[in-house]
This record gives sequence, structure tokens and C-alpha cells, in this order.
Amino acid sequence: MSLPIILLILFALLLVGLLAWALRPPTRQIRPALDVFEALSQSRHCSRMSHILQVLQPEDTEYLRESGQVALMQSLRQQRRRIALTYLDQLQEEFETLLEISRALAVMSPQVVGMQEMERWKLSVAFAMNCAYLRWRLRLGLQPFSGFTLLSNMATDIARQLDTATTRIAQAAVQGAGHSALGHENIDGL
Amino acid sequence: MVEPLQLQAAAWALTTSLELALFVQLVRRKLQRIYPLFFAYLVSVIFQSAAVAFLYRNANLDKVTVWKIAWGTQALVVILRSLALLELNRTILSRYAGIWALSRRLFLCVAVGVIAYDLALSKGAWQWLIMNGIRGLELAMAAVIVTMLIFARYYRVPINQYQRALAVGFCLYSSFYVINYSLLEKVVQQYAVLWNFLGLFAFIASLLVWISAANRYAASEEVAVPPAIPAELYGKLSSEVNRRLYLLNQHLIQLLHLGDRRQ
Repeated sequence: MSLPIILLILFALLLVGLLAWALRPPTRQIRPALDVFEALSQSRHCSRMSHILQVLQPEDTEYLRESGQVALMQSLRQQRRRIALTYLDQLQEEFETLLEISRALAVMSPQVVGMQEMERWKLSVAFAMNCAYLRWRLRLGLQPFSGFTLLSNMATDIARQLDTATTRIAQAAVQGAGHSALGHENIDGL
Repeated sequence: MVEPLQLQAAAWALTTSLELALFVQLVRRKLQRIYPLFFAYLVSVIFQSAAVAFLYRNANLDKVTVWKIAWGTQALVVILRSLALLELNRTILSRYAGIWALSRRLFLCVAVGVIAYDLALSKGAWQWLIMNGIRGLELAMAAVIVTMLIFARYYRVPINQYQRALAVGFCLYSSFYVINYSLLEKVVQQYAVLWNFLGLFAFIASLLVWISAANRYAASEEVAVPPAIPAELYGKLSSEVNRRLYLLNQHLIQLLHLGDRRQ
């Protein structure tokens, strides 16, 4: 049997596997329209990024080693890593909520932009991979690095950009809700 | 010991009985009005069973006539199955204009890609072109069903039990047809009777899935469509959401750099 035929058979088997996967019940339910607009103004865990970066700094606990309390230092670092993991869970939750919102928007829209949907899909794959990798590294224990100040500044900058993006989404959502309620007027003022 | 041909005859009888049972169920539940092309497909399958029975009873027919009738009915069945599949996809997704427009383009790409790959295996030999064309069409149907289901899952588009059963039946039959034909073509030609008999089982399984779903069908399964928003609003919100997703990703990358720089 030639390779192309084997590939064909494997593809058919893969389709049966994907069929079984696609038929599993979804873990989350779709949000109603009003719920979507409400959710857009919530969940901004990323603004706490600089605090998380701070707790992961070994310098923050190094004084305990110098005072001979190594066990306490290790315990403290372990607790802080746990906090960072919880933060990561919340970040992922925020990301998934945004994905849910974008899906709900696509379902409600009469026109869906393929490129934006593809871009979102790529972002979600990248995020999932980064998240898994980071979780794995956090469990192993993070060590100090030299450019903390720079990174902290970057974090603050991104948090600010995120806030701006969130505000614009909320404004668009509010105006869009008003637009839907009032009829079909222009929304150029967004 | 039961001969393979006797088993095959019994399987054919069972298949025809199940086809008729499904026909009755569809009419009883008035599902032929909601899915007329699926109903037409079922009628074509029953017609094909009658045609095959006619061919077996008239052994004096010349081979060319038999070939024409057999492949003519098969072509009709495959075309109607493709149309029934399109009808199913349209019923599930067309309530969501944007998703439907995007998915149609995707389905077309998937179907053309799969059929082109399969036809390329014929290497220009016309006798294989028809057979491989049908196999390509079956594989494309299975691929389109799976794409539709993944699409519906991603966008949380509700699918009722009956639609789900139709999709499962179509996909299982088409996938098994491709595996069956590909193995028969190259490996187990000497066991053609037995292999055809096993092939019938895939169709019997599909019929049982459809009968069971039609039996349990309730009109209340129809789902409400969410309110529509203007396309411009979607565009603005969607790009902003993407931006926020991008920034969240950047957050993660920063945390990853924290880990990298320690080494």
C-alpha cells in the first residue's frame, strides 16, 4: 500500500477521532448579549502584574538567608510561587473570558472578519502554550534576574495600555448597546 | 456454517427494513418538512435498494447495463447525500449570518482540498477517476461535517440531538466508506464479499443512529437565536478584544522572560 493511501486512511481515522472530540459537551455556556457587555468591564487581573513580579524577586527574601533563617526563606518563596500560580490562573481566566466574549460577538454579528478570528485563534494557542510553560517553570521555582526594574516598568506600561483598550471596548459596547436599543444609527463617534 | 453471500443477503434485508423504518419515523414526526433533502436522500437509498434487488433477479442483463444502473443509482445517492449534508450545515449555522458566511468559505476550501488530493491519486486513469472521485467526495463530506462540528463547538452554536445524530451518521458512514474502499482497492480484494458485508454494517449503524434520534425528536429542541449587533460594532469590539488578548499574552511573555533571565 502506497504512502498517499495510508495517509488517506489515517485522515479518515483522524476525522472519526475529531468527531468524538467535537461532540463532547462544552465546558462553558455562551453568554447572553447583555452579559457580554457587562463582562467587558470586568476582570483586570493584569494590573497586579508589578506586585507579582515583586514577590518573585529573590532579593525580597534574601535577608532571611543572611539572618540564618533558610527554612523560613524557602517556605516564603514557595508560598509566593503559589500566589504567582494563582495569579496565572486568574490571568488565564481573564483571557478565556475575553475569548468567550469575542465568540459571543461573532455569533451576534451579521459579518465576521476571518483574519480577526484567525488572529484570535493564534493568540489563544500562543497564550495556552506560554501559560503551560510558565506554570511548569513556576512549579520548578523561579530565580532572580538583573533587569527587574526594566521589566516592572514594561509591566506598568502594558497594564496602562490594557486599561485604555478595556475602556475603549466598554465605550464601544455601551454605545453599541445604545445603538441597538435606539435603532440602526451610525456609530462613527466611537 | 452460514455462507458470506447468505449473510450479505440478510444484511441487505435488514438495511432495507431499517430504511423503511426511518422513512416512517420521518413522516410520523413531520421531519421531512424540516429536512427535505435528507428525506430525498433516504428515498434515493430505498430506490437504490430496489434497483439492486432488481439487478440480482435479472441475471441475464448485460454487464454494461448492470454497471450503468449500479453506478447511476450510486451517483444519485452520493449527490443527494452531499445536498442533505449542505442542508444540515445550513440549518445549524445560517441563523448566525457572520459565522455562516465565514464557515461556507472554510467548508469550500476543505472540500476542494480533500477532493483534489484524492483525485490526484488517480494519476489520470479515468476508471479510477470515478471511483476515487466518489471516495474523495465521501472524505470531503466527513471533513466538512467535522469542520462544522468543531466550528459550532468553538462558537458555542447550539446543535440539537437530531442534528447531532444526522452529523454522526453521515460522518461515520463516509469515514468507513473511505477506509473500506482504500483497503479493498489495495489489500483485501480477495475478500470483497466479506468486506462489502462489513461495509453494510457502517450504514446499518448510521440508520440506527438516525432512527433513534428521529424517535426522540421534539419540536421544542429548536433553539432561540441571539439578538444581532451591527457589523461595525462587531469590527470595533473584535479588534479591541484582540488587542487586549495580545496584551495579556505580552504579560505572560514578560513573566517568561523573568524565568529566562535567571539562567
